Amino acid sequence: MSGRRPHPRVRYLLLHAYGRGGTIRTVMNQANSLVAAGWDVEIVSAVRRRDDIQFPLDPRVTVSTIVDLREAAYTPPSGLADRWRDRRRGRLLDAPPRYIPAGEFGYRYFNRYVEDRLIAYMRALTDGVLVTTRPALNFLAALHATNGVVRVAQEHMNHGTHKRDVQQRIRETYPRFDAVAVLTERDRDEYEELLPGTRVVRIPNAVHSLDQVPARPQSKIAVAAGRLFPQKGFDMLIPAWAKLVETFPDWQLRIYGSGEKKAELRILIEEHHLYNHVFLMGHTDRLDDELAKASFYVLSSRFEGLPMVMIEAMSHALPVVSFDCPTGPADVLTHGIDGLLVPPEDPDALADAMARLMADEKLRADMGVAAVLTAASYGPDAVHPRWEALFTDLHGQRHATAGAAKGQHA
Amino acid sequence: MGLQRVKPHAEIAEVWPRDGRIRLVGRIHGHSGEGAWTLVLTRRAHSDQRLRYDAHVKGDRFEGELPIADLTTADHAAVEEWDIHLSDGETELRAGRRLDDIRGKKKIFVYPEQHTGNIGVRPYYTVKDNLSLECRTGGAA
Repeated sequence: MSGRRPHPRVRYLLLHAYGRGGTIRTVMNQANSLVAAGWDVEIVSAVRRRDDIQFPLDPRVTVSTIVDLREAAYTPPSGLADRWRDRRRGRLLDAPPRYIPAGEFGYRYFNRYVEDRLIAYMRALTDGVLVTTRPALNFLAALHATNGVVRVAQEHMNHGTHKRDVQQRIRETYPRFDAVAVLTERDRDEYEELLPGTRVVRIPNAVHSLDQVPARPQSKIAVAAGRLFPQKGFDMLIPAWAKLVETFPDWQLRIYGSGEKKAELRILIEEHHLYNHVFLMGHTDRLDDELAKASFYVLSSRFEGLPMVMIEAMSHALPVVSFDCPTGPADVLTHGIDGLLVPPEDPDALADAMARLMADEKLRADMGVAAVLTAASYGPDAVHPRWEALFTDLHGQRHATAGAAKGQHA
Repeated sequence: MGLQRVKPHAEIAEVWPRDGRIRLVGRIHGHSGEGAWTLVLTRRAHSDQRLRYDAHVKGDRFEGELPIADLTTADHAAVEEWDIHLSDGETELRAGRRLDDIRGKKKIFVYPEQHTGNIGVRPYYTVKDNLSLECRTGGAA
């Protein structure tokens, strides 16, 4: 503990705090835990396109926005100077960003206007801890949050997933951070090699709760969840299920999520005549309830950061069948104990592993119990104190070595 | 759910739109399966117009099918709906899916469209979770 010194203010910078992606959800869980532990926490949204926050957030966490893109937030210009400013804004909104490489998956959300406003915001910060949550925001913080704020870069995707230009910029800029936080052991190894001398910490994301309704092993429902997008590999899961229908005609596969590949997946279901067995369930606000109805979880992703819904499923005592994709499943699962890991992008192996679980209720029950125990180390109480310790430590170091601090003079 | 009573109906388990036919499999709920049963299709816009097919019932399990070619009519509107019942001559049981936990079936249970003449036929669940057939001229998806 760091004596009587009060906790520093922690600011999380998200691209869009009003969205519903996994990173957003995770950051809100962290914010809720920190604020409950007495920290002063702010969530800063680079842009805002919605009125409401989509995940439970403690009201003591303050939320602010850098660029409000909602139509209602736009006031038409009145005076001459106003009109000039408005034209300039329009021009900058159309101009490409200067510091974000085109290979950043969020590139399309950035432009010169958003970038300028973010830089101005970062330059004004002189205290506390700034946590940036994706490569584009990390690059900007590395270069511009240089007036004394303690900087932490979070990486929510595995390093191998980044495009070459992003990897290059990571090597160039991440050494300026006080700490780089990654989700898995494999990523910690990779980043340590990539960034010699930089503090790299592995802190997994936490599930929102461990107090969950256990699933029933006798249920004949398998569940998968994620955006209907190539990354999630549902195009491999559906043909895999097709091989099981004859042997297990009374089983259902329920896939939760929405996304741009829905029509293609529907065609795949029709081609394999699976319309009585595989269901695209759409988005649900009650995933916990839906997970509890199943008896195992399937992860068919081509890649992941750390698949949180899988761990949430495990907290419901669901065993997992998963591709051993980079990264996450192998960090979490012990093959044969709490789930079955099969070679990545191999639908036949996935089908065989699912068949093994579907044929054996006792196996599902045993592995489900083991899954709950595994999930326990991803509970908020196990994970969030590690963030507190990191922030306290970094902040303490900064004040012990004032002046020579890393955040000054980038 | 739970203690709530579900009215007698023909609970659909599987719908198979394949090879120019639609086959239905399910269970009779809340009514004896004895007697001779028929699958009855009623044209919603002309309820006197009906199509009947023998259904096979064993215990409470029923199975029946129809060729979609029967759904072509001389005065076909742009969209026609046919409602599906199971009948023993006295009682008509509406076909539907009411015993499971899935809400919003219309969007979740989606079946392939088949074509006959210039119409496209697709089974669908109504907002009340009953099973009907939708026939569209031109068969636009």
